[in-house]
Amino acid sequence: MEQLISSFKTIAPSIPYIINGIWVTLGIALGAAIIGFVLGTLLSLCKISNVKLLNGLARGYTSIFRGTPLIMQLALAYFAVPQLFGLGDVNATTVAIITFGLNSGAYMSEIIRSGINAVDKGQFEAAGALGVGYWPMMKDIILPQAIKNILPAMMNEFITLTKDSAIVSTIAVTDMMRRSQIVSAQYYTYFPPMFVAFIMYYLVILLLTFIGGRIERRLSRSDQS
Amino acid sequence: MIKAEHIIKNFGSIKVLKDVSLQINQGEVVVVIGPSGSGKSTFLRCINLLEQPTSGTVMVDEHNMTAMKPKQVTKVREKVGMVFQHFYLFPHKTVLENLIYAPMKVKGLSKDDAVKKAEELLNKVGLLDKKNQYPNKLSGGQKQRVAIARALAMEPDYMLFDEPTSALDPEMVKEVLDVIQSLAESGMTMVIVTHEMGFAKQVANKVVFMDDGRILESNTPEAFFSNPSTERAKDFLEKIL
Repeated sequence: MEQLISSFKTIAPSIPYIINGIWVTLGIALGAAIIGFVLGTLLSLCKISNVKLLNGLARGYTSIFRGTPLIMQLALAYFAVPQLFGLGDVNATTVAIITFGLNSGAYMSEIIRSGINAVDKGQFEAAGALGVGYWPMMKDIILPQAIKNILPAMMNEFITLTKDSAIVSTIAVTDMMRRSQIVSAQYYTYFPPMFVAFIMYYLVILLLTFIGGRIERRLSRSDQS
Repeated sequence: MIKAEHIIKNFGSIKVLKDVSLQINQGEVVVVIGPSGSGKSTFLRCINLLEQPTSGTVMVDEHNMTAMKPKQVTKVREKVGMVFQHFYLFPHKTVLENLIYAPMKVKGLSKDDAVKKAEELLNKVGLLDKKNQYPNKLSGGQKQRVAIARALAMEPDYMLFDEPTSALDPEMVKEVLDVIQSLAESGMTMVIVTHEMGFAKQVANKVVFMDDGRILESNTPEAFFSNPSTERAKDFLEKIL
């Protein structure tokens, strides 16, 4: 026990360094979520469209990104693609955000599609009968209702992204995971730095879950009767 | 003028409309009645192309709806208001927002103008005090009156009513029918699908009786209700009156 406490004391100066890694982690998750949401929305619209080609493209995209490991996609994007095209050194964080975004778009598109399908068909008809065109109808009438339905699932997706972002440590992005490994190696003591990161991840996920619950309640205001 | 000619509508192998033609003149109130499953609602929905007819043409004024691209259809729909059995108010918008959305978005009205018009209409249907409520706080009758006001906010030339009182509790039917009646008296051109025979008698210039995907009779309400010419219509009226 004493040994444990002293090992925590030893790494104490590096604890803020580890904890601050959460901003990198959250930055990647947030960036990826934004890309994923926009992409997922477009893909979901392709999936519900009457145009066969768009259906096929969106389904193929989803199939590929859901059918391969994320860490594989990340390695492909960071190591293989730049070499193939002779791009030289690429910014690891940028690659991470884009890859996670592309991956998340595939999952998000399924969530959004199910949300759109759950909106009463009459809402499309009412908007159509008022002369509202396709894009404003989707943006103002259908998607707000769809998103309200799927908010818990989207929040889950964001939480998954936050957790999965630890994979970026494999391409030398100094997120919280990577930092805990660096500090571990520096002091040659594993438990304290990893425990700090572990707890920090959990606290952040708890916080995100809490925020998600709040937003959900706020949005369901118009449901109360 | 709305002119539907030789409308045929199949859902897969089911033939719902079997050659239906009808002309609705300016200022006319046409009430469509008939047993459930006779194709009344489908026919109504073909008029503004919520259902694409399998064949036949629909003319709204000089516009051939059935030959148009979706974008042009959307444009013509501004002139054809529709009221649904289940209201379909936008649940995430307040009553007022429900009314001003399309006029602002589609017709490009300023917010002030749209609100002014919306409040006028809400006042007309007796719901101005509910303007900041969300739809789920309203009763069925109130929802339907808001839905009518929402359609009117686009200042349509025609109004289509698809069983506007069928989903209402009995004590709320009258408040909705009153609104529709006053609209009829103001000279609005309307097509109403309904099961309210008393109302039909009162408000219609023309009664159309449909059965099994066809129009069997088209007559003045007086003539139709007192002396239907087909056995099927006689039978139908006996059962419901």
